[in-house]
Amino acid sequence: MTTNSSTTSPENPAAAEPRVGTYYGNPIPYLPLDGYPGKIVAIEGTDGVGRSTQIRLLREWLEVQGYGVVETGWTRSELMQPTIDLAKASNTLNKLTFQLLYATDFADRLEKEIIPALKAGFIVLSDRYIYTAMARAGVRGIDRTWIRNLYGFAIAPHLVFYLRIDEKTLIRRVLQSRGMDYWESGMDMKLGDDIYESFRAYQRSLLKEYASMAEEYNFRVLDAKRKVEVIQDELRRQIGAFLAMEDGVAKPDPPPL
Amino acid sequence: MTFSLLHATDFADRLLYNIIPPLKAGMIVLADRYAFTAFSRDTARGVDRQWVRELYSFAVKPDLAVYFRVPIEVSTERLLARRVKLKFYEAGMDMGWSNNLVESFRMFQGKVLDEYDRLVDEFGLSVVDATGSITDQQRFFRKLVSQHLEIKNDNELLDDIA
Repeated sequence: MTTNSSTTSPENPAAAEPRVGTYYGNPIPYLPLDGYPGKIVAIEGTDGVGRSTQIRLLREWLEVQGYGVVETGWTRSELMQPTIDLAKASNTLNKLTFQLLYATDFADRLEKEIIPALKAGFIVLSDRYIYTAMARAGVRGIDRTWIRNLYGFAIAPHLVFYLRIDEKTLIRRVLQSRGMDYWESGMDMKLGDDIYESFRAYQRSLLKEYASMAEEYNFRVLDAKRKVEVIQDELRRQIGAFLAMEDGVAKPDPPPL
Repeated sequence: MTFSLLHATDFADRLLYNIIPPLKAGMIVLADRYAFTAFSRDTARGVDRQWVRELYSFAVKPDLAVYFRVPIEVSTERLLARRVKLKFYEAGMDMGWSNNLVESFRMFQGKVLDEYDRLVDEFGLSVVDATGSITDQQRFFRKLVSQHLEIKNDNELLDDIA
């Protein structure tokens, strides 16, 4: 059982994380992780940083090299997506039930998508991870210990990339693409009637929350203001180095024939 | 996990809309099952005992929590006598322990009861022996509640009804 595969890499010594691939908190008793071969790569970041574009490109690149890739994304579980959409539309959610619905969605994807994929040796590309929930909970004043305990059943990803952007660029990108919506503007927080001001204040506090997590969760921070290709190159370089190292580790221990 | 979290979401919603407002207004809230149900049921289902307690740490601590205890044979017998169709999840059929509904119910609810027994000490639940007659149970229940609320224990009324 090799649960403690290290991610130490020359360009990021801070990522000497002993618990990658294992549960953050108490394990889910009925789902032990017995040194599964798969890897989780999480791409985090606020709106407008180009996560989905980067994931699409990464997927192609990894598949060409022969890796099996599975994508998973926030609120995309079959079980919960309709409920979350409905609850958002009807405006009956409070910050607590909202968080619990997120957690349910994540639990469903963890059990039904992520863990089976890890077991089968896939690389799981996760569009957002629990840090999104933590950031959103943080700005809404939800108890930090509670939310961290809640997500104790999450698996620490092997790599977490945080696509960081400044407030000004973020606002321009969102306005340019699809505009602001009620939730992304944090209008539930009643910061003011002006949706633009609310959006700005909300996104600013989200950025602060992400920044405060960077060290705690070993984010590999990438400047998302750069061109898509430049960011993609950087991602490929770091992921490639990690996978090469993992392959190297795996070789001395071939499965019995 | 999703089973546990969905129940917690439902509970959070009821807590914020149906429990906390009347408490603030100084009313008495009678809760038919509370977080303790989740502690025993979710743990029986294989969820981490500590995690589910932390999950519900947002719940208001009840002023009085009463546990109506019956042995598994009695509860099974009562349900079957009324020809109640055992529900899939109540019978723990999702655990895949037995294809027989009644058998699965006994196994799963047996585990649930074990967990409840653990809760009695941990959370200071008051236990009512629920094998007795309804009137006896109600009398004892009233005694517990009236002691707690410091109101007159008026069992004569119940004698009239009975």
